[in-house]
Amino acid sequence: MAATASPPAPISVKSGVAPLRAGQGYSFLLRRLHSLSGIVPIGAFLVEHYVSNTEAMKGPAAYNATVKFLNSLPFVLSLEWGLIFLPILYHGLYGVWIWYRGEGNAGDYPWMGNWMYTLQRWTGGIAFAYIIYHTWTMRFTGVHLATEPDAGFDKVYRALYGHPWVVLFYFVGVLAASWHFAYGIWLFCAKWGITTGELARRRLGYVCLVIGLGMAGIGVYSLTGFLSYLAPTPGSTVTLLRH
Amino acid sequence: MANPKTVLFKIKRQAAPGAQPHWEEFELAWKPGMNVTSSLMEIAANPVTRAGKATTPITYDSNCLEEVCGSCAMLINGRARMACSALVDQLDQPIRLEPFSKFPVIRDLAVDRSVLFENLKQVKAWVPIDGTYDLGSGPRMTMEDQEAAYPLSRCISCCCCMEACPQFNESTGFVGAATISQVRLFNTHPTGAALKRERLAALMGDGGIQECGYAQNCVEVCPKDIPLTRSIAEVGGEVMKQAIGDLFRK
Repeated sequence: MAATASPPAPISVKSGVAPLRAGQGYSFLLRRLHSLSGIVPIGAFLVEHYVSNTEAMKGPAAYNATVKFLNSLPFVLSLEWGLIFLPILYHGLYGVWIWYRGEGNAGDYPWMGNWMYTLQRWTGGIAFAYIIYHTWTMRFTGVHLATEPDAGFDKVYRALYGHPWVVLFYFVGVLAASWHFAYGIWLFCAKWGITTGELARRRLGYVCLVIGLGMAGIGVYSLTGFLSYLAPTPGSTVTLLRH
Repeated sequence: MANPKTVLFKIKRQAAPGAQPHWEEFELAWKPGMNVTSSLMEIAANPVTRAGKATTPITYDSNCLEEVCGSCAMLINGRARMACSALVDQLDQPIRLEPFSKFPVIRDLAVDRSVLFENLKQVKAWVPIDGTYDLGSGPRMTMEDQEAAYPLSRCISCCCCMEACPQFNESTGFVGAATISQVRLFNTHPTGAALKRERLAALMGDGGIQECGYAQNCVEVCPKDIPLTRSIAEVGGEVMKQAIGDLFRK
């Protein structure tokens, strides 16, 4: 008998989705922490940050006074790391992990909820990328505002003025963060069993729409506060004149 | 359209679990009221492709032919739905038939959906009664509870909600909406509630309710109109109450 027959190629049978692993793992805790951290402290900080930034409309002095006030808070470094940087880092990195593991299918099932699912991932990704850029350039490099709060307005202004792509990135980042936060509230209420009814979820949808538009409006309003100034005076960090 | 009217099908075929899938086209004479299952029956009666080549009949699951058994679920024009209630006149042609993409293919359009059965076992989706002696009549359910429970009891285990879910995949191992809704059903039942804590605890395991991304495709594709998103929200709340309560009780 001729020994020419080679063994058949190994068949890779698709094993399918694994059943529920009752009593195993920590993903419940991690995922719920992710969900909660988006509202408190990150969402709460986002609102504070947007509102504080509207001081920019009142001019450099008012804005710098806010920067000074925030940096005068007790335990400011612990507050920054414990309530802002670490939660955002966790929320962002775990969020990327969630995004990576999901299989978006808005093309096959093009319904509102499914589009929102996809958009929540994109806005989250854009906002996270923006926040990394924003904190790197505003907090961790350049003039240190904790020690020199009077340079606050000037620092933001110099970053934006004459850099249309940076301005665009700021607008996109502000809109993405507003959207992600507003729909995040809606998702939080649905997942934590706060809005169990169909009508309640629809009503909250309108409320979140208002929150999202409001946040976006406030963010854009603050940005225009910076953009409404002319070029900084050479050699000066604070004296900017209104056009 | 040419007369006599014909119906065109493109069917994804696969001879065995590990085999390479391929497409075959079939053209059938149009008949009034035909649906996807009746078309598959016709192909079985005369298994010849559009090109005139003899082939094997198509393997598919079906049983009741009236959308109550849950066996004939498949992807029709890319969407998870029941073949028996998919009327040909309401579908764009050529009608694309594929097996569910997230379940192991047995052959052609037949897939292995036993993961749902395993999930139901994990959450103890039953009413625990001994059965060795007469327990008498069970506790009464209020009309309100009955009306909330009945729609949940209509689940036919078709797995459409799982196939359409972006979170149901091999990476997450998400349990899916059907099982979560069954937890709500059996927790609502006065006798079934004896296992309530165990069911909710099971849903906190890996692949549990936390994996839901609230894309809400489940409730859109469900052929039985089960309020699945409501079930996920309600069970999600119960799970949270238990999880937070256990922080203090345990």
